[in-house]
Amino acid sequence: MSDNGLPLSGVAISVRSGRGFLNLRLNPHHGQAVETAERVLGQPIPQAANTFTNGGHEVYWLGPDEWLIANVAERAAALGSELAEALGGFHAAVNDVSGGNVELLVRGAEARAVLAKGCALDLHPREFAPGQCAQTGLGRAAVLLAAVDPSSYAIVVRRSFSDYVHRWLENAARPHRARFSAP
Amino acid sequence: MNTAPRRWRTSTVLLIECPWCGPRAETEFSYGGEAGIERPADPYALSDAEWADYLFFRRNPRGAHRELWNHAQGCRRWFGVERDTVSYRIEKSYRLSGAGSARPAAAHIEASEEKRR
Repeated sequence: MSDNGLPLSGVAISVRSGRGFLNLRLNPHHGQAVETAERVLGQPIPQAANTFTNGGHEVYWLGPDEWLIANVAERAAALGSELAEALGGFHAAVNDVSGGNVELLVRGAEARAVLAKGCALDLHPREFAPGQCAQTGLGRAAVLLAAVDPSSYAIVVRRSFSDYVHRWLENAARPHRARFSAP
Repeated sequence: MNTAPRRWRTSTVLLIECPWCGPRAETEFSYGGEAGIERPADPYALSDAEWADYLFFRRNPRGAHRELWNHAQGCRRWFGVERDTVSYRIEKSYRLSGAGSARPAAAHIEASEEKRR
């Protein structure tokens, strides 16, 4: 075991329970709307494609005018109503998608090797560095994959696909001394 | 006669450049057919044949082709691609609207389309 509780070898897979998610749509070229959203969030909204910011909330880039905001469920719910109110005058949309998504964590020295079995992206840190995220395919499912640090990845997946993805990960991780646990 | 089972090349992946996300595997995309088909300004002025042509008939060329793709497993945006239907080589991909979009410089496609008419 290392200091942060991660296995030095192998891989640990866990479900991050109690997470809340918001989908934010707004025009990235409307400076005032972006400023308003960033003020409510208290952190910048990533404008660069396939990156995320972490400053209390995690804000993932999903598309040129679309972001996913993740936090513990209670804070996400509160933030959702604050954002909706603040952005009421703009051409923007805030939707609580907590019920539709599940977040998984894949951590450990061999996390990348496990994910690479079903993901077409080059996950090497020189291509997919911490702070980057990508909506891509894992196995046969569409997921949002984020590099948290060089040996841990977060996966946000539709709830109806989460059982499949979890089983896929179990199977892929079997030769890598996998541990399954709550976070 | 060679009866050996055909060996498929599995090591190559067709990469498509999403104008927002960069090069991604073809499996992340869905095909949207020929690009640049404009709805007639006044459909009532058209004959049935012209209307059917607009609705159903596509060029299906051998060679340069301008087409629509959707990054279905990624940013879910539609964009344009210029692809050679013989070699599968993708000459370029481009945004359809908004910042960064530009009418593609597709003189060679225009020329080949003109020739076919």
